[in-house]
Amino acid sequence: MGTRIEAAATSHRRPWRRSGALKLSDHAATACLRRANHGADDLDLLINAGMYKDRGAAEPALASIIQEDIGANPGSPPRIGHHGTFSFDVVDGACGVMQSAQLVDAFVGSGSARLAMIVAADADPSPLTSRNFRFPPVGGAVVISHTSGDAGFHDFRIRTFPQYASLFESRLYWDPSGGIARRGRNVLEIVEAPDYCAQLVECTEEVVRELITGIEIDLLIASQYPRDFAGRLAHRLGLPAESVPHVPRELVGSYTAGPIAALEAAIESGQLARANHALFVTAGAGITVAAALYRS
Amino acid sequence: MTPWMLAETTRRGNAPFSARFESVGVQLPEKHVTTHDLMASTRHHTRIDLEHLTGIREHRMAGPDESSLSLAIGAARDCLARSNYTGADLDMVINASITRYVDGSIHRYEPPLSLSIKEAIGASAATSFDVSNACAGMLTGVFILNDFIRRGAIRRGMVVSGEKITGLGTNAAKDIRSLLSLQLASLTLGDAGAAVIVDRAPPEHAGIVLAGFTTLAEHSRLCVGLPAWHAPGARMFTRARKIHEVAMEDGPPIVEDILAAGGTNLGEIDWLIPHQTSVRAIRSGEKELAKRMGERPKHVVVTVDEYGNTASTTLFLALHRYLTDKKFHPGDKIMLLSVASGLEVGVVVFVMDEWEATHGHTH
Repeated sequence: MGTRIEAAATSHRRPWRRSGALKLSDHAATACLRRANHGADDLDLLINAGMYKDRGAAEPALASIIQEDIGANPGSPPRIGHHGTFSFDVVDGACGVMQSAQLVDAFVGSGSARLAMIVAADADPSPLTSRNFRFPPVGGAVVISHTSGDAGFHDFRIRTFPQYASLFESRLYWDPSGGIARRGRNVLEIVEAPDYCAQLVECTEEVVRELITGIEIDLLIASQYPRDFAGRLAHRLGLPAESVPHVPRELVGSYTAGPIAALEAAIESGQLARANHALFVTAGAGITVAAALYRS
Repeated sequence: MTPWMLAETTRRGNAPFSARFESVGVQLPEKHVTTHDLMASTRHHTRIDLEHLTGIREHRMAGPDESSLSLAIGAARDCLARSNYTGADLDMVINASITRYVDGSIHRYEPPLSLSIKEAIGASAATSFDVSNACAGMLTGVFILNDFIRRGAIRRGMVVSGEKITGLGTNAAKDIRSLLSLQLASLTLGDAGAAVIVDRAPPEHAGIVLAGFTTLAEHSRLCVGLPAWHAPGARMFTRARKIHEVAMEDGPPIVEDILAAGGTNLGEIDWLIPHQTSVRAIRSGEKELAKRMGERPKHVVVTVDEYGNTASTTLFLALHRYLTDKKFHPGDKIMLLSVASGLEVGVVVFVMDEWEATHGHTH
């Protein structure tokens, strides 16, 4: 038993709107379910992989709020005899979607879940005070179900390179002289080294070289941040430029939802359906690389 | 019949292996703070007898040199010291903390804390990631490991969490005026680190016989924790009474349903270890479960009186304490029950084996 992608959808902030990560997640999740022709109640599992949430909330898991908003077995009283929905967050930055895909593949593979959705969105939690926040407000969702054939995800590879952990860091710290009347405030800061992208490509190549040996990859679904990561990686791997889906302008540079933006573009252009072997790969802070192969 | 929970039971028979708890470790800060002292620190005169209301006598409070990360690493090392394994043997490391302090008041988003933890314990080759599921985080991690081990995808893994969370109480103490304050629950919190290794059970051992989770998302906004805007750290706003009502109303049928799916019942449970929020909440939960099911577990574990609510670590702190006190016997059936903001309800039932019961002391 494997897992196959049923649908993907993205959302982005419209001009003059202030949609935060939750709204972006809700919109993407609803659109994705519509495309997959499923009701929200059909979901067994909902994982949120978005990193930068509204007001930086640490509790509860954003996934549970999305579950409530989209009406996926919100549950009180629980209808015993029906199935409910379990939701939680995976916190792994740019690799959150692929880490979640591995978990979905596990739960669907074991038969515990039959239908799952991964949602990811980022928006600046504090636009007036954050430093170096550089991701566009974009959300994405992907619905994954079980398949009895050979199609779907296989060969997940996840590796970390802690020697490069300092190349990308994000933190919330107390600035005692900031804020109103200099009384102090919490500040979100992202620090990225100039050679971060180059090192991401190096590490990713090391992980996926072995994975794709002897396989002709015709589609590359990759992180969209840094912006030239996917193109540089394709070049390094010797993949043709056409193997990289063309992501719409408003989704370029999207963070946790980046691979979903590429996936949506590949589905809409027919590239995913035509691809014999797709390589999904995300890379981010850590440095962490999470990759898998996908057969259509 | 499908249980309401996303569930894995040994009855399903589609998994080649079963998983078990191999060892449990904790890290507790040295500093003790009584509830009396904590209430004396509130800015306003509240007349609230929090110790009487919750049964919590004292809490542990991390010092300035301690962090979520250091508590997690300390617990992970303690866990390995009681284990047959070294860090290099671990296939997966999952960090599940709500708080992510790495140094003083610096809360780290990226890279994930699991990366630093696995490096600190020599588990470099392990797959690692963080999950966030409020106080149900560690049990969520166990749920994930159980699945991977049962399928044979991995042999063993660690779930770890460090909670430096008493800062919420420090911030709440400035605002609380009455029992109606949404920040009152922040004064019940305590700091702690906990870690647990889950591995493939030897063939003759039952290990984890049941694991299930669900989210009653209709109540997702009843407890929210977020960075404070005018003070270091965070704040938590909890509609505690409402959460308690929902847990009392919706918890028992879900628990009954999942136990039935696993072919067991509450009367067969030797020890129930519930999430530790307050002694009073645990006692009324016990009563509601008994009312619904007509039977009781033989014992209900309470450690919140001594440690406070240590967020995602409570279940494993309690498990560790009772293992250390040699309360369990081989063959005891133990049920871990998480009720956390979300509203998350998680259940893991396992059979204590000899190794666990000695808590590594024969190692």
